[in-house]
Amino acid sequence: MLPQNLGSETNFKLPFSFILFSLIALIASQIMLLFNGQMVTGGSFRIPGIWSAAHLLVLGWALMIAMGAMYQLVPVAFLTKIWSEKLGFIQFFITAIGVISFAVTLYFSPQHALIPGILTLLGILMFIFQMLMTLQTQAKPNILTAFVGTALVCLLLTISLGITLIYCLETGTGTNYYQAIFKSHLLMGLTGWFTLLIFGFSYKMVPMFSLSHGFPMIHARYVYGFYTAGLIITLISFFNGQSVLTKVGFFLLLVGFSIFSWHISIIINKRLKKKLDKPFSFALSAIGLGNIIHLAAFLLLWTSTFNKVIGPLVYAYILLWIVLSITGYLYKIVPFLWWTYKYSKEIGKAKVPALKEMMNEKLIAPVLSLLITAVAVVFCSLIIQSAVLFNIGQFVASIVFIVFAGGIFSVLKK
Amino acid sequence: MNLEEKILEALKSVYDPELNMNVVDLGLIYGIGTTEQGDVQITMTLTTPGCPLHSSITSGVRYCVEALEETRNVEVNLVWEPAWSPDKMTEEGKRALGRW
Repeated sequence: MLPQNLGSETNFKLPFSFILFSLIALIASQIMLLFNGQMVTGGSFRIPGIWSAAHLLVLGWALMIAMGAMYQLVPVAFLTKIWSEKLGFIQFFITAIGVISFAVTLYFSPQHALIPGILTLLGILMFIFQMLMTLQTQAKPNILTAFVGTALVCLLLTISLGITLIYCLETGTGTNYYQAIFKSHLLMGLTGWFTLLIFGFSYKMVPMFSLSHGFPMIHARYVYGFYTAGLIITLISFFNGQSVLTKVGFFLLLVGFSIFSWHISIIINKRLKKKLDKPFSFALSAIGLGNIIHLAAFLLLWTSTFNKVIGPLVYAYILLWIVLSITGYLYKIVPFLWWTYKYSKEIGKAKVPALKEMMNEKLIAPVLSLLITAVAVVFCSLIIQSAVLFNIGQFVASIVFIVFAGGIFSVLKK
Repeated sequence: MNLEEKILEALKSVYDPELNMNVVDLGLIYGIGTTEQGDVQITMTLTTPGCPLHSSITSGVRYCVEALEETRNVEVNLVWEPAWSPDKMTEEGKRALGRW
């Protein structure tokens, strides 16, 4: 028999601080993208405004939200307490100050972004240390530990590569490797850190939210094996410049992702809950979209248009796989956190609302459907280089994000 | 209605907020032990180990039973063996999930 003291005992203010910060960063990044639309549609992704917006979106929104979610989900998935909540709060303030100052200097004076970058790095290192110490206390490591542990290693590599990029920019050294470092930074950050993390936690959350039982877990080992092999081979190919190796790497990533999609469909088919919640359904649809993007990236790698489409594909990958997954799960996590804070002492004494009643579910399907449409419009605008189409799509996406953030904030009134 | 039955009836007011189903129909209550003095020991489980709602639900079960006039001390034992499975649900619970 396992000890009784299992589950999340995390102070709700810790994950909540990260989540609230991330929502503000999300809105700010969207507004910045709107103002820089002209440059992006001209094919100029590497300009200060875009660097700043991209980092606000990826670090301020997605990374901060992933950190907040991990403070909530690690105790749930690994049956262990957070190593030090005090360190968690200190880490939040350092990372928040780092991300804000990093985004500001990237916008106004990118050559001075090293110190804010180091501050962000410090915050992230504290987070990695916190999580590794927490995982160490796990009684029985499993395949989820491998996914999350490897994701943390990828996060560390992403940040190290990012700092190296800024160092190269400041000193002018290592120009021969600049492209390879830049590509590796994207690979480790998007497919290494975020994808492996979403894979790992999906294996806990999908059965939990669909009430699935009696499904096999052997597939998860293949997902891990193929996907991490793909990451390593692609990373090597960026530095030795062998395009065949890149193709092999992209193929392994596609295989790993496809097995994951298949495995999740097996788990869903074993569910007891016939009608799935809307936000959860969107998180599941993000898996299909991520799989399509992996397939497109692999197929287009064989064509001469790859360099032209990789920017839009990365954009689609961030928005339709990473952001849509996180958004879907966030609609579940935030009501849970607020419910725990407000009603956990009331249950058994008075009538308490169900988690579903904490949020306006009717709004979720149109909002997230509109987001997918807006991202598709922006994606097309980037391919055909249409500033008008970009502005329309990005305007709709920004409005959707503001409505989404408002919806999350509205939970706090319940 | 004896005390065990009263407790079971009362526990139908304690809901899992994620599934919106009471703990009895979900099949989470494994056993209820009572003494003549009104001491109660409830053995229960959750649908998954590490359920983030475990503290809320077990506290809810305790509060609910403590509120009954006939009870004195209430102890809730959370166990993971035997593991919860769908066949532990009542017919009512199965219907509510829309699976049967």
